Amino acid sequence: MSKRVIEMSNIIKRYYIGQPNELQILNGMNITVHEGEFVAIVGASGSGKSTLMNIIGALDRPTEGTYHLNGTDVSRLNDKQLSQIRNKEIGFVFQTFNLISKSNALKNVELPMLYAGKSRKERRQRALELLKLVEMSDRASHKPNELSGGQKQRVAIARAMANDPSIILADEPTGALDSKTGHLVMDIFHKLHKEEGKTIVLITHSPELAAETDRIITISDGNIVSDTGYKDPDSTETEVNA
Amino acid sequence: MKFWENLKMALSSIWSNKMRSLLTMLGIIIGISAVITITTLGNTLSSTFSNTFQNLGASNLMEVIVAPDNPDEEPDVEDWITMDMIKGFLDKYPGEFYFGQDVQGGEGNLINSQKQTVNVSLTGGAEGTFDYYSVKMLSGRKISFRDSLEDRHTCVVSDVFVKQYFKDNEEPIGQEISLTVNESLPVEFTIVGVYKYNEMLQGMGTGNTKEEDIKTPMYIPYTIASELSGTSDYDEYFYYCVFTFDNSLTPSEAQSKMESYFNEQYEQIKGCGVRVVTNEQVMKVMSSAISILTVIISVIAALSLLVGGVGVMNIMLVSVTERTREIGIRKALGAKKSTIKSQFVTEAIIICLIGGIIGIIVGLLNGEIVAVIANSVIQSDPTYADLLGNVSITPSIGGIVISLIFSTLTGIFFGLYPAGKAAKMDPIDALRYE
Repeated sequence: MSKRVIEMSNIIKRYYIGQPNELQILNGMNITVHEGEFVAIVGASGSGKSTLMNIIGALDRPTEGTYHLNGTDVSRLNDKQLSQIRNKEIGFVFQTFNLISKSNALKNVELPMLYAGKSRKERRQRALELLKLVEMSDRASHKPNELSGGQKQRVAIARAMANDPSIILADEPTGALDSKTGHLVMDIFHKLHKEEGKTIVLITHSPELAAETDRIITISDGNIVSDTGYKDPDSTETEVNA
Repeated sequence: MKFWENLKMALSSIWSNKMRSLLTMLGIIIGISAVITITTLGNTLSSTFSNTFQNLGASNLMEVIVAPDNPDEEPDVEDWITMDMIKGFLDKYPGEFYFGQDVQGGEGNLINSQKQTVNVSLTGGAEGTFDYYSVKMLSGRKISFRDSLEDRHTCVVSDVFVKQYFKDNEEPIGQEISLTVNESLPVEFTIVGVYKYNEMLQGMGTGNTKEEDIKTPMYIPYTIASELSGTSDYDEYFYYCVFTFDNSLTPSEAQSKMESYFNEQYEQIKGCGVRVVTNEQVMKVMSSAISILTVIISVIAALSLLVGGVGVMNIMLVSVTERTREIGIRKALGAKKSTIKSQFVTEAIIICLIGGIIGIIVGLLNGEIVAVIANSVIQSDPTYADLLGNVSITPSIGGIVISLIFSTLTGIFFGLYPAGKAAKMDPIDALRYE
């Protein structure tokens, strides 16, 4: 049986704690994601999708509950440790690409490795490999404003892969692209999933996109309303949030 | 993250906003260049000053002054320094000290072969007097203290006088001249030496008089001058006496020799002593006055750095706000608070340091410009040129080092707050920032 990469139990997130307008966004979520899964988290706006993503991505801490990422209890870490988790364990892909505009593609891919303290040579080599993987080798020295949306997203995916993270966390990665380039980007995710065995968590509001993945977790009003479950490649059983 | 990466990042950020960075630096540039200009000028002034002093031979000057124990009392004339004391002093240290006191002997005139009147002013003195007035000898010897003691009628005349009196290139040394002194008796003098006349050093403020009409000083023995001026009795005593000392002595050696001799002389005299003052001391006081003035003005100029620093902080705050999203991205990719902080502080330091370096260059150029102007003024007048030579700019190394340190500190001080603001940003909010 595969390793559990994400193990969330009873995750609750509240805002404005202790104030009259206290707001509970997540109502005790339990999610387990195994290594090598391609999971889609689907939900409408306001369903708690983004809050969940922030917690999965170690950008935020849950109010209650525990979140183990690759065995580490992320919910108890301080800011500095969270930075390190984001750097080494998580590869973000954003809807709006979020590349550093004044750095070229190569430098953008190198950046997480710079923060990880890798040597210049190592960074350069790995960044070039990754750009090759997303078929952007010929655009290495281009700045983001010289790239199309699809190209930017491919660079962003290469950047997400830089420190070989435990999970790739993609937030509406095709949201800003037309359907054709969106499909091309999705193809890269499939390639990373199949060829590199990456664990990918895709957050989207599009059922169509979600249908391309192995497993769909649907959330609504801070609760999981359905989960197609984990299919262990070694067994025929389907496990749901075990 | 490594320092070099930070540095590269800072430089590329400054470069991508060239105009804004330059304007931000302007405050620092003005502040630092003002400090450097002032310290350079101060330094140049005091070194020119001490060089001129050296040129004048004035640093080997020393004065012994009668000092009554009660400073409010006038010392009696009988308690003043006597000719015997002076003679004893010079005999005790032969070749080390020279009598440098001078006295005006009045006016003299004589008629040359063309029946023209040549005027001179008589100055009584000895070897030291020549040093005191920075008289450059062209030929022959100086008037000596022995001339005074032995009442020899010797004189040293100027090259101007030689031209005025001996029209036909006669050898002046050894010649006897007869001089009408103070419109009375003719007095005979033997010329023993010729000096080079300098309008600024020995001039009588005659301005642009034609050469043949200039009245130049003629040096004669001290005692003879005081006799001619009719103050003979009075001049047997000295309230103060100037000496020059040989270069083989250091000023402090000279001072201690002089102090010990004259203190001994004054042991028996009640209620009165002597005080020895060296020109070195006077020079030091003046030099330190210039230094203090330089420091004070520099500090005032450095205040403008504060204004520059506030400018840097302002721009850094704008830059942090503008780059909120970038900060969010960096944080999402794993940049720690400390990484973000050092990135922005480095940027502020680099802005200030580049500004500081430009300021130093501008300040040094200012100094050079002043030197060029000063030199052209000095060279236009040969009497000044002779005395001052070329003013060469001597930048203050201390000023440069302190400026660099100060601009770095300005960068740190005014960069910390904006950098802290950047570091504290919440990555989620920062990523959402439009």
